[in-house]
Amino acid sequence: MTQAVIRILVVDDEPAIRRALRPPLVELGFQVTDASRGEEALQVLRATTYDVVLLDINMPGIGGIETLRRIRALSPRLPVLMLTVRDQEEDKVEALDMGADDYVTKPFSTRELIARIRAAVRRVHAPARAEDAPIEIGEIRLEPVKRRVTKRGAPIRLTRKEFDILLCLMSRAGRVVTYAKLLTAVWGGDCREEVEYLRTFVRQLRKKIEDDPSNPLYLLTDVYVGYRFADAQMFLGEAAGIEPESQPAEEEVPEDAL
Amino acid sequence: LGVAGIVLVAILAYWSRWLLPLAALLYLLIVVPTALLCGFWQAVIVSLSAVVAQGLLAARHSELDMAADRANSITLLVFIVVALIVSRLSSRVTGHAREAESRGGQMHDLYEFTRRTLQMNLHVEPGPQLAELVHEIFNLEAVAVFDADLHDVYQAGYWSDDPLEMAQNVYYFETSDDDPETGIGRRVVRLGSVPIGSLVVRGDTSPLTNNAIASLIAITFDRYRAFANESRIETERRTEQLRATVLDSLAHAYKTPLTAIRAASTGLGEMGRLSPGQSDLVSLIDEQTDLLGELTTRLLTTARLDGGEVAIHVAPISVGTLMEEILAGLKERLASMKVELDIEDENLVLSCDRELMVMLLTQYIDNACKYSNFGTTITIRTLVAASEVIFSVHSYGPVIPMSDRERIFDRYYRSSTYSNRAPGTGIGLSVAKRAAQIHGGYVWVTSDEQDGTTFFAAIPVITEKESAR
Repeated sequence: MTQAVIRILVVDDEPAIRRALRPPLVELGFQVTDASRGEEALQVLRATTYDVVLLDINMPGIGGIETLRRIRALSPRLPVLMLTVRDQEEDKVEALDMGADDYVTKPFSTRELIARIRAAVRRVHAPARAEDAPIEIGEIRLEPVKRRVTKRGAPIRLTRKEFDILLCLMSRAGRVVTYAKLLTAVWGGDCREEVEYLRTFVRQLRKKIEDDPSNPLYLLTDVYVGYRFADAQMFLGEAAGIEPESQPAEEEVPEDAL
Repeated sequence: LGVAGIVLVAILAYWSRWLLPLAALLYLLIVVPTALLCGFWQAVIVSLSAVVAQGLLAARHSELDMAADRANSITLLVFIVVALIVSRLSSRVTGHAREAESRGGQMHDLYEFTRRTLQMNLHVEPGPQLAELVHEIFNLEAVAVFDADLHDVYQAGYWSDDPLEMAQNVYYFETSDDDPETGIGRRVVRLGSVPIGSLVVRGDTSPLTNNAIASLIAITFDRYRAFANESRIETERRTEQLRATVLDSLAHAYKTPLTAIRAASTGLGEMGRLSPGQSDLVSLIDEQTDLLGELTTRLLTTARLDGGEVAIHVAPISVGTLMEEILAGLKERLASMKVELDIEDENLVLSCDRELMVMLLTQYIDNACKYSNFGTTITIRTLVAASEVIFSVHSYGPVIPMSDRERIFDRYYRSSTYSNRAPGTGIGLSVAKRAAQIHGGYVWVTSDEQDGTTFFAAIPVITEKESAR
């Protein structure tokens, strides 16, 4: 990474979780600050700049969702990762729709958390990608202008909607796109609830782009929440072990564009 | 008094000749009030004395015109007959009035009895209260009420003999009668056509009143049973809710330390510099934390299902999508297993709660992963039969004994075949069963050495009930 040290603000009301997170993060070169409440986190954020915020969704006081809303008002591009629990899918969706960059489900592994932190920071620091620039992730290349998709150089025939879905997901690779966002982006606001419709298209899409559709490598499901296109870093790392900066530039899409 | 009046009139008529022709009218004036006030026989006596007095007067005054005398006698007779008829009518009216009054009293008593039974405290057996009420309100000498359900007789008032046998006989032989000699009324207390007890009363009541009392007793017994049943269900519901709340809060309380342990152990791994032995121990902590995490999640789910907290979100979902989601959730678990998927019609749309269905099938597949023999294939199949989709998960592992096949779906039950083989709590399959039941479906299992073990879940495709929800 180009930046020297990643500064993390960990916001969780549980001291045990803050204590457990600090040593490995510090050891791995992150700079860690703790906050036990949303209110405290907002105060800290007004005083200091951070690269990423880990924000617990369930906290006493103003709570995670409200804290996220205020953070977004304060700094719209600051990556925020929500710490959630498994049975709170609605909260996850709400947080993502409100602009959270990603979420990690408790109990999480530190390895996974660090990977998500790095991906989130990388995305925000990546140079803006031109809207019509081709996107290449793994063996798949998508050219928005020509509306063409190839895999290992061979063209893949997609319907218009399938292409739109793929474009929407690939331009946000590595990030979860909630069902509602994806539906709105592809079909318009009236279809926010037609999740089954979307699933049918995604199944077709998987048959076309995945080697093994029942074990997808690119088009991943975040159960109950939405879909995520695999992060380019995953394939780059596998191929050459190179640093994330070399990944194709990503477009930072404003929320209202979805 | 009437006879004296007649004598007086006769004497006056004897002395005053002018009064003689009017004597008959005067007699009538005495006979009619006597008939009205005193009754038929008194009026007859007074009338006869009037006839005798008139006869005597006629004998005394033989000089009177015979024709006039005869006419007077006939007039007198006519008046007497009229008087007698009046007395008859009067006694009838009086009788009706008395009867009406008595019926009014009975109605009032029955009304009072109904009111008091409705206000009765149904937290305790109603038998003793009913016997006391009947005795008090209907002013009876003795009352016995037999409750066949509790096999007990409740009595009020004075019985010279123990009424238990009599009341039981009424119930067993179904004899309902009234004995005017002894004043004892017997009734079988029935709910619809089913005898549920008996009533024996001694005292002044009518058969109709006895019938009404027996019916009211039957209704009260029925209300008591319904109330007791309702209270029992309510108590069970509350206990279950409390249990669910405790489980829920326990499971939540476990989540935080689990998260901290997992973050700490995986953090240690990430920090590196661990010896191989230390790494092994850290991995062990990781694995066990995962297990604990799964267990708490399952506890949470069970608590919610049992506590009736689960809001059912029925929405159409295709079988293909459903299976895809389930397999996505089990990706890591299935990575080392051989899995075969056989979906008859993946576009078939099922109206169900996605989350519950995922939970059900995840449980089946997870079970197959745990208990299947190493190297064997797990087959996940869906097929459509009549109006149901049948999901099945087949694997080769230890045979589930016949005696366990029903019970393994009960909460906390673990088959003896499995209990030492793999981690488990006996919760998962009960959750699967509940999830199927919520959809109006059902679950079962087949198991034998040759064909392996198959868990099934049949879910109605679309029922009216579901579409109405």
